[in-house]
Amino acid sequence: MSKIEIFDPAMCCSTGVCGPTVDPNLTRVASAVYSLEQKGNNITRFNLANDPAAFTNNETVNQVLNEKGADALPVTLLDNEIVKVGEYPTNEEFSKWLNVDAEELTQKPRIRLNLN
Amino acid sequence: MYPVYKPIEHVETPYLFFTGKGGVGKTSVACATAVTLADQGKKVLLVSTDPASNLQDVFGLELNRQPIEIPSVKNLFASNIDPEEAARVYRENTVGPYRDKLPESVINQMEEQLSGACTVEIAAFDAFSHLLADDAIFSQYDYVLFDTAPTGHTLRLLSLPTAWTGFLDESTHGASCLGPLSGLGEKKDMYQKAVQSLSNPEKTMLILVARPEESTLIEANRASIELRDIGIENQLLLINGLFLSGNSNDEIATAFYKGQGEALKQTPEELKQIKTVSLPYVSYSLTGIAHLRQLVSENRTIETEMKEDEIALEPLSDLKDMIEDFSINNTRVIFTMGKGGVGKTSIAAAIAVGLTERGHKVHLTMTDPAAHLDYMFKNSAINQDLSVSSINPEEEVEKYKKEVITAAGDLSEEERAYLQEDLASPCTEEIAVFRAFAAVVERSEQEIVVIDTAPTGHTLLLLDSSEAYHKEMSRSTGYVPTSVKNLLPRLRNPKETSVVIVTLPEATPVFEAARLQEDLKRADIVPKWWVINRSLYRAGTRDKVLMARAASEKQWIKKVQEELAQKRALIPWMQEVKIGYDQLKEFVQS
Repeated sequence: MSKIEIFDPAMCCSTGVCGPTVDPNLTRVASAVYSLEQKGNNITRFNLANDPAAFTNNETVNQVLNEKGADALPVTLLDNEIVKVGEYPTNEEFSKWLNVDAEELTQKPRIRLNLN
Repeated sequence: MYPVYKPIEHVETPYLFFTGKGGVGKTSVACATAVTLADQGKKVLLVSTDPASNLQDVFGLELNRQPIEIPSVKNLFASNIDPEEAARVYRENTVGPYRDKLPESVINQMEEQLSGACTVEIAAFDAFSHLLADDAIFSQYDYVLFDTAPTGHTLRLLSLPTAWTGFLDESTHGASCLGPLSGLGEKKDMYQKAVQSLSNPEKTMLILVARPEESTLIEANRASIELRDIGIENQLLLINGLFLSGNSNDEIATAFYKGQGEALKQTPEELKQIKTVSLPYVSYSLTGIAHLRQLVSENRTIETEMKEDEIALEPLSDLKDMIEDFSINNTRVIFTMGKGGVGKTSIAAAIAVGLTERGHKVHLTMTDPAAHLDYMFKNSAINQDLSVSSINPEEEVEKYKKEVITAAGDLSEEERAYLQEDLASPCTEEIAVFRAFAAVVERSEQEIVVIDTAPTGHTLLLLDSSEAYHKEMSRSTGYVPTSVKNLLPRLRNPKETSVVIVTLPEATPVFEAARLQEDLKRADIVPKWWVINRSLYRAGTRDKVLMARAASEKQWIKKVQEELAQKRALIPWMQEVKIGYDQLKEFVQS
């Protein structure tokens, strides 16, 4: 099974609503990643603001950061190879890389029961 | 009118939170309450969160996170949690180990993201929680007093079940304001317990501190509703600084007394439903145990000892000198900045009128919904060289929220609740208003633009620099409007832009203004002028109580003069009336 890793820039609000513009991309990506995870795909996100170790431990990411600085983020790796730099993958790319139907990525996730 | 606050009578629970706007006297009231309860033989812990710790003045001790016994008051223990410091420590722990491993631009991005209001808020709550959730503390002390309360936004975030599901882990959207504090998952139980204690009326009481001034009553009302919605229903409203003297020979005292009465008449309806007590306006500053005891004691003698005046002040500029300075230097964009209730809107209006009178074309923009702009200039023919507009932050935020929710497309209930909470975070409003600013500042090529608020340094830094900024800006619109492109460089150019810091001659407002200034300096914006507003000292009152207050203003005026401001103007206390063009004109004429 293919593995996708997304290295996010540090964000004040991870939904992006506190950024300078509304970035529908962030919510799109969040939903897509969520759906993919629910379906058992191997997909992980790392946030620079609270998991910087992930960014230094990964040599590929570390190298691209040293070359391009913070503008390189987000960086996406597919099976440890860089496939996207400086912007998020499209839903089409996700579906191509993981071999799933792009339609499925925009489906509503089921509401999880809260068992508190 | 209201019964006088007596801690022994009115305090009903072991935990007390004091909330209210900066400068209303939260810390003094909390200290006085603590001392009184300790004098009764109760074991009391006072937790202060005052970054500019007045507590050291009050108790004459250095305090830190570890509670220590106050030698001069038996049974009283105190500790100080400085949220700014807590956030700083957290930031350094997060970023420090990576300084030599990641390039500078990456490190800077991390630091800025961890410098927002959210990080500070959560860091403070984290510290509270340790105390609130600790049964040992609960059994060790009879009372624990906090001189500030967490905001509704923080508590709502913590009570969202989503925050405790997968969202906190490494995937999907980590919560905006919780995101920065990793490892939160482990603290889940502690936070939940803290929130439970907070919303238990047997355990916790919220004391809303306000002054007899409209802006602080509005703020108390907002906090009251917000916290009641979260379940903190045991509330007491405390009106601090009720002026009782009526030296009718003194115009200022009469106006002062009348002004307070007017403000109290304007008390929001919901707030009137809450049990209300008051404390009198006193002539002495609330430092030292003796003064604190006196404030809430049974036999309060209103003492007005006139101390020998030792502080000599250099003469200060007037408002018109500042306006003259802008006029001569042809400053194109002027922001007035300060915490709510210091009068930045009136100052902005006065600057606009003053510059118009000096022959400039001026555009005034107000963001204060309470400004009653049309009323302010009603029936007074506006000079043809002055145009006025307003930005309503609430509307801007609503528009912005709609945009975001629409852009997000289909969301589950849970995700939607989440996104909505993100949108309630302190930075959202700024961002929404920022875009409206850009369009207004654009006008400065043809006319001088005066705006009654300014973006914070944190917001500017998030938007900073370069490509990241333009990339962000173009993302949703597809192109970068020139207004936005030019905004940051323009704001940073002191020849074009001036930020005026507005404050009051009192401890908390001065410290808060100093922090605003530091924050702006981080974004390479250096305020040139400070305006010290509503000075009784400058007004020349002859009322005994007010004169003693006027004398205590001097140390703060001096501090601004000597340590904080390049240039400063001092403005006398005046009766708060909505004034029109002609009155403003008299006030600023050269």
